[in-house]
Amino acid sequence: MIESTIQAGFTGAEFSRFLDSRDEPDWLVKRRRTSWDRFEKRSWPSRRDEEWIRTDIRLFKLDRFSLPIQAAEGLEPVSSLLAEDLELGGQSISMNSHSLLSTLSDSLKSQGVVFGSIGQLMEEHGELIEELLCRRQLDADSDRFNLLNEACWSTGHLLYVPRGVVIDEPVHFHSLLGEGGVDLANSMIVLEEGASATVLAEMTSTGDAQPGFHCGSLEIMVGGGANLRFVNLQNWSHSVWHFARHHARLEQDASLQWTSAAMGSRLSKVNQHVTLAGKGANCQVNGVLFTEGKQHLSYHTLQHHKAPGCRSDFLYKAALQGRSRTVWRGMIKVDRAGQQTDGYQRNDNLLLSDQARADSIPGLEIAADDVRCTHGSTTSQVDEELIFYANCRGLARREAVRLIVSGFFQQIFDRITIDSVRDALADAIARRVRDFD
Amino acid sequence: MPDFVKVATVADVPDPGTLLLEVEDRILVLVHLDGQYYCLDDVCTHDGGPLADGTLEGCELICPRHGARFDVRTGQALTMPATEATSVHEVKVDGEDVFVRIVET
Repeated sequence: MIESTIQAGFTGAEFSRFLDSRDEPDWLVKRRRTSWDRFEKRSWPSRRDEEWIRTDIRLFKLDRFSLPIQAAEGLEPVSSLLAEDLELGGQSISMNSHSLLSTLSDSLKSQGVVFGSIGQLMEEHGELIEELLCRRQLDADSDRFNLLNEACWSTGHLLYVPRGVVIDEPVHFHSLLGEGGVDLANSMIVLEEGASATVLAEMTSTGDAQPGFHCGSLEIMVGGGANLRFVNLQNWSHSVWHFARHHARLEQDASLQWTSAAMGSRLSKVNQHVTLAGKGANCQVNGVLFTEGKQHLSYHTLQHHKAPGCRSDFLYKAALQGRSRTVWRGMIKVDRAGQQTDGYQRNDNLLLSDQARADSIPGLEIAADDVRCTHGSTTSQVDEELIFYANCRGLARREAVRLIVSGFFQQIFDRITIDSVRDALADAIARRVRDFD
Repeated sequence: MPDFVKVATVADVPDPGTLLLEVEDRILVLVHLDGQYYCLDDVCTHDGGPLADGTLEGCELICPRHGARFDVRTGQALTMPATEATSVHEVKVDGEDVFVRIVET
């Protein structure tokens, strides 16, 4: 068992101790204090708020966790699902909000790529990090979790790719949570004009006996003509509370393929926003949710078209077992300037138990008059005829269900171009499929 | 089967009245009605609404969001938009103390 935090809560005194423990520049300390003041004045989201009406956080107790002031000792990285057998350009590993390991190939260093734990990079690249934090589009004021992250973020991973640099090998972010651990990551992926990269991000627990807490933010900036492939796997244990805000901004002719898989956590509330800010930007977002037991995963997506001629394609697929629940609420928003927009969103849900529940709420908010925006949603149980068909060919019910679930997600797996990542995700899901009646 | 857990004293809940509880990672509503105690999941089976915030009319607990009614004795959904029962749990009173035992379904 790994214990790395002293239970002292998120108090003003602990926040001061947290600041004292960090040797950070004045501009950052000031930012943190401002956010902390707002955090203290703000209430937790109310269940009357539309965004929280289906997500019950009354059992979440912040005072059971504490600020990640002291680094854990004697911790070792655990194996990765996504990066196994891959030749990586760099790897950044954190545990309970403290950096464990950070590597970057010499060739990438020589091309000006900045990569690793933000906290550790602060000394050498303070000016760059200050500039990037100022460029962030995250609305840190939007709720109490975001303010908490803005005030207390610790570590987080950064990839900065200078103009025109193309990274062939994937880089890997791995965030680990120990027993009772807290992860307050603030990660950024920044590709300047014409750059190209592939990023694999993974979240893993090392145990599930004690509740864990993740309150994170991720900002992605894809410059003009740049191209980012991003795979994100949330694989926490079922005792982790997961609150995250992800935002990507695409400039002119930028391209983003974002695959987001979530299988872990006790409760997740994730806001995933993509802003298409430059003409001709193109994004494809693929979501895989697999839940079991009493898990509750709530995803709120926004594809915001601010510029003309952009394309966005969101596909979220969820398979649910046990008494688990998913909430997917998607919005395509097109500003008046967003003429010739091509926007699509779809959510498919496969219920593997008669006690599972999937809420699907697609939406359109369109101010332009020359666009094509479509959306769709399906929810169904496994077709008994398909199982019968498989039974007739010698497959047991469980194998039949595995095949059907694999087929359900295949549309998304087909979009993942890294073979080992595609296989790892498919295997992880197939292993979790249980028998059902 | 889980043990009974002390959740309140009889003085904590007026008759008629309700009390929000947290027991073993579940949120429950304790109902005191005509001298009897009942315990239900604090979940409207229509959209997960908080029943403890609702009003009690006779033996019916009304969800504040869309007006679904549940029988506090059995958990049965009595009106649309809810169609499925919410879970009920065992309650016993020992002296001045009220105990609840979670019933897993």
